[in-house]
Amino acid sequence: MIQFYEHFPVISVMGLFLAAFLVEIFGNKNKTIRYGISLIACLAAAAMTLYLIIPVFRDGKIISYWMGGWAPEGGYAFGIGYEIDGLGLFFGILTSITFLMSVIFSKRYMERDAHLGHYYTLFLMLAGSVLGLVFTGDVFNLFIMIEIMTFAAVALTAFRHGKHPEALEGAFKYLVLGSIGSSLTLLGVALLYLSTHTLNMAQISALLSSQGFKPTTLFAFAMMLSGLAVKSFVVPFHTPAADAYATAPASVSTLFSGMVNKAGIYGMIRLTYILFRVMDRESVMLLLALIGALTMFVGVTMALAQHDFKRLLAFHSISQIGYVLMSVGLGSVLGLYGGLFHALNHTLFKGLLFLTAGAVYYATGTTNLDKLGGLAKRMPATTACFLVGAFAISGIPPFNGFASKWLIYQAAYEKAVQSGNFVYVIITITALLVSVMTLASFIKVTSAAFLGQQPASLKEVKEVPFSMQLPMFIMSALCLICGLLYRPVLTYLVGPAVSAAMDPSAYIDTMMGSGYAITHGVLPSSMGFAMISAWDPRFWLLLFIIVTCAVTLVAVSDARTRGPVSLPQPGETDAKHATFFGGEKSTHSHVSGSDLFWGFKKDLKGYFHVIGDLHSGRTNDYALWVVLGVTVIMLFTFIFLS
Amino acid sequence: MPEFVSNLLNILLVALHVLVFPGLLFAAVGGLLLAGIDRKVLARMQRRVGPPIVQPFYDFFKLMGKETIIPAAARPGIYQAAPIIGMVSLSLMMLFFPIFGHSAAFATKADLIVILYLLTIPAVALIIGGSASGSPFAGVGISREMVVMLGYELPLVMVLLTVAKKVGGDTMTFALEDIAVWQLANGSLLFHWSMIPAAIAFLLIIPAEVGTQPFDVAEAETEICEGPLIEYSGAPLAIFKLNTAMKMFVMTALFQVLFLGGIDLGKYWLLGGAVLFVISAVLTVLCMTFIHAITARLKVEHLFKFYWTVVAGLALVSLVLVWFGL
Repeated sequence: MIQFYEHFPVISVMGLFLAAFLVEIFGNKNKTIRYGISLIACLAAAAMTLYLIIPVFRDGKIISYWMGGWAPEGGYAFGIGYEIDGLGLFFGILTSITFLMSVIFSKRYMERDAHLGHYYTLFLMLAGSVLGLVFTGDVFNLFIMIEIMTFAAVALTAFRHGKHPEALEGAFKYLVLGSIGSSLTLLGVALLYLSTHTLNMAQISALLSSQGFKPTTLFAFAMMLSGLAVKSFVVPFHTPAADAYATAPASVSTLFSGMVNKAGIYGMIRLTYILFRVMDRESVMLLLALIGALTMFVGVTMALAQHDFKRLLAFHSISQIGYVLMSVGLGSVLGLYGGLFHALNHTLFKGLLFLTAGAVYYATGTTNLDKLGGLAKRMPATTACFLVGAFAISGIPPFNGFASKWLIYQAAYEKAVQSGNFVYVIITITALLVSVMTLASFIKVTSAAFLGQQPASLKEVKEVPFSMQLPMFIMSALCLICGLLYRPVLTYLVGPAVSAAMDPSAYIDTMMGSGYAITHGVLPSSMGFAMISAWDPRFWLLLFIIVTCAVTLVAVSDARTRGPVSLPQPGETDAKHATFFGGEKSTHSHVSGSDLFWGFKKDLKGYFHVIGDLHSGRTNDYALWVVLGVTVIMLFTFIFLS
Repeated sequence: MPEFVSNLLNILLVALHVLVFPGLLFAAVGGLLLAGIDRKVLARMQRRVGPPIVQPFYDFFKLMGKETIIPAAARPGIYQAAPIIGMVSLSLMMLFFPIFGHSAAFATKADLIVILYLLTIPAVALIIGGSASGSPFAGVGISREMVVMLGYELPLVMVLLTVAKKVGGDTMTFALEDIAVWQLANGSLLFHWSMIPAAIAFLLIIPAEVGTQPFDVAEAETEICEGPLIEYSGAPLAIFKLNTAMKMFVMTALFQVLFLGGIDLGKYWLLGGAVLFVISAVLTVLCMTFIHAITARLKVEHLFKFYWTVVAGLALVSLVLVWFGL
C-alpha cells in the first residue's frame, strides 16, 4: 500500500519543472501570473519536502518510488527509481529553504530587470533539478539533473549581461568548466554501467561490494569524483565559482551557494559513502581532507584580497565548502555530523549574506566595497542581518557557524590523535586559522560597507522593502536557532542523514528487496560517537543577556541624567576625511576600505603573488587547472585504491 | 516551600558567581590591580616614581563621571553597545576556568575551543566599536588590530592543541576540567620540559592579546591617538579601559589553568589558591612589564612576522615534541 506522501518527492520535482514551462507560456506578459506560479510552485515543493521529515526522519522510513511502476525484475533494476533516505532528504531540506527564501527575495529585487519570464523559468528549472538530484536513486538520472542544473545556472549567471558585461564572461567560464565536469561525470556513469550493468545506485553499491574493484570501476570512481568536485567548486576546480557568484543576481548567488554547490557535495558523499563505500580507507580520507583543507585556505586568502562584496562572498563560499568536505572526508561519525551540520549552517548564513549583498546592490546600485560606506545609518535592518551572518560565518559563539565548526575541529583533532598522522594536526590548525581569517575578512566588509564614513553619494539611500527584509530575518533567526539549539538540530535533522550515509544496507534493501544487501556483503555498520567536550550556548547566552541587561540598565540610568552630546561634524567636503575611507588608492593612506590587511599581505606577499598569478582569469588556464586536478585524483585512485 | 527556597538560592548563587566571584567584580578589581602594578613597576624600571597602584581605579571612576560624547558620524547603538558586550563576555569567561583543582563555577559548559572563540569577542567588540565611530584614525587602528589578531591566533591555536594532546594522550580532550584533573595527577604542565616552549609562546601571546608595548600597534597613542578608541569618551571609554585590564587578568588566569594547575592545596584551596593566584598573576604581569620596559613599539608587519615565525615556531616545537610522546 503506497502512502500518499510517497508521491511527494516526484510531485515536488515535477511541479517545479511544470511551473517552469507554465511561466514561459503564460507569464511572459503578466507579472502577477508569473510570480504567482513561481511562488506557489516553490511553496508547494518546499512544503512537500518538509512534510517528508515526518516519515523519513521521525519514523526512519526510506521512501522508494519507481517511475511508471518499473520495479526491479529478477534482481535487476531497469526503471528509474526515486529513493529518499535521510541523506537525500537532508539536502532536500537545504534546497527547499534556499529556493523558498530566494523566490521571496526575488520579487522586489528583480523588479527593475526585463525578461523576467525567462528568469523565473530558469529559476524553477534550477530548483527542480537540484531537488531531483538529491532525490533520485539512479546515477544516470543524477547526471541528467546535473546537466539541467549546470545550464540553468549558466544562463542565470548571464542574466544581467546587458547591465554588467562581465556577467557574460562569468557565464562563459562556468559553461566551459561546468561542461568539463558534466562530461567527466557522464564518463564515470557510463563506465559504471559497463561494469555493473545497472544504473540503480542501491544495486551498484551492492554489486561493487560483492565484486570488488576492477580497473574500470576505479576509473569510473576517479571520473565521477572529479566531475562532482567540479560541481561543488573545490580547489582546484573553484575558479568559475568566483566569477559566476559575483556576477549573477544576488538571489541567484544565494541559490548557487545554498544548493548548487551543496548538490556537488551531496554527490560526493553519495559516491564515496554509499556507491563505492570507500570511506573506511585511510587514503581516501586523506585525499578528501587534504582537498578540503586546501580549499578552505585558498578560498579565504583569495577572499582577503577582494574589493567586491559578492566576489568576496563567493570566495568565502568556496572556503566554507572546504570545511564541509574536509570534515566529511574524515570518515568518522563525528566528522559527518560536523560536515553535514556545517553544510546546513553554510546554506543559512551564506544565503543570508548573499541576500544582504543583494539588498545593498538594490539600495545603492553597486557592490564595490571601495564605493560603499556608512550604510548602517540608512539600512539598519540589513546591517543587523549582515552582522548576524558575518558573526555566524566567522564562528563567533553563540551563532550556528561556531557550533558546527566546533564539531569539525573536534573531529579533525580526534582523527589526528587516532590515526597518529601529523597531517591532520596541520589540517586542524588550518581550520582554526581560516576561521580567524574569515572573521578578518568580514570585519573588512563591516567597516568598509556598513560602518565607517558615509560617502556623499550614499546620502539618499533607503532601506529595502519588507518583502526583501523578510527572508533575511528568517535566515537570521534560523542562524541563531541552529546555534543555540544545536543539540536538537544534530539529533533530529543531522543524525538521520549521518546514519543513512554510514549504513547503506537499509537503503539497498528498500530498493532491491530485503536481504539483498546482506547477500552482497554490505553489512550494517555501527554508529557510535562521543563528543569530546560540552558547550551549552543557551546557558552562555542566557547569562550574557542577563548581565548585558543589568549593565545597560545601569548605564542608561546614568546616561539619562546627562544625555549624549553631538559635536559638530566637519563638512563632507573636507578632503582630509575622505582620504582614509572610500578607497582613493592614489593617496598616501594605505587604509582604504578594501585594503585593510596590508600588514598581513605585505608579510605574505610571496604567497599572494603566486595565488594572484594563478587566478589569471583566463578560461584556458582554468581548464588546465581542472585537467591537473583530474589527473591528480586519477593517479591517487589508481595508486592507493587498487 | 523548601524547593522554592533552594531554587532561589541557586539563582542567587549563579548571580553571585557571575557578578562577584569569579565573574565581573573579581575580574575587574583583579584586572585593574594588575594594571596598576604594571604601571608602577614600569615606572620604577624607567626610574620614575610612577602612579599609586590604585591609579587605574581613580582613572576608571573619573572617566565614568565624565560626559559621553557621541560623534555625529557614529552609529550610536553599536558605538555604545560595543564596550558593554566586550566587558560581559570577558567576565563570563572567568566562570569556565577551574582554579587550582577546584571546579570552576560552570566548568562543564565550555572547553578550550570555546574559550579560544570567546576570547575573540572582546577584540571584535573593540573593532566594531571603533569602526562605528566613523573616524579615519579608528580605521587605521582596526586594520592593525585585525592583523595583530591574525598574528597571535596561529600560535595560540597551536598551544591549545599541544595542551589537548599532552593531557589527552591517545584519547584527546579539550575539556578544561580534564586538564585540571590531569595536572593534579601528573604535575603542572609548565614543569614538563616539552611544554616549556609552548608556555613561553603563551606568555608572549598575552601582551599582544592585551595590547601592551611593544605589541600595542593597534592603539599606538603617539602615532594614531589610540586608534579605535579615538572618539570614545566618558563611560564607554572607561569600560574599554576596564576591558583591557580584565583581558590581562583573564589571560593570566588562563595561563594558570593551562600551565600551573598542578598544585594540590587540599582543604586550604581557597586561601592558598588566592595567594598562589595573586603571586602567579603578578609574576606573569611582571614578565609583560619587563618586555614593555625594554622595547619600543614594533611595526605591524614586523609584529605579524614575529608571531608567525618565532612564537609559532616555539609552539610548534612543543607540539611536535608532545606528538612524539615526550
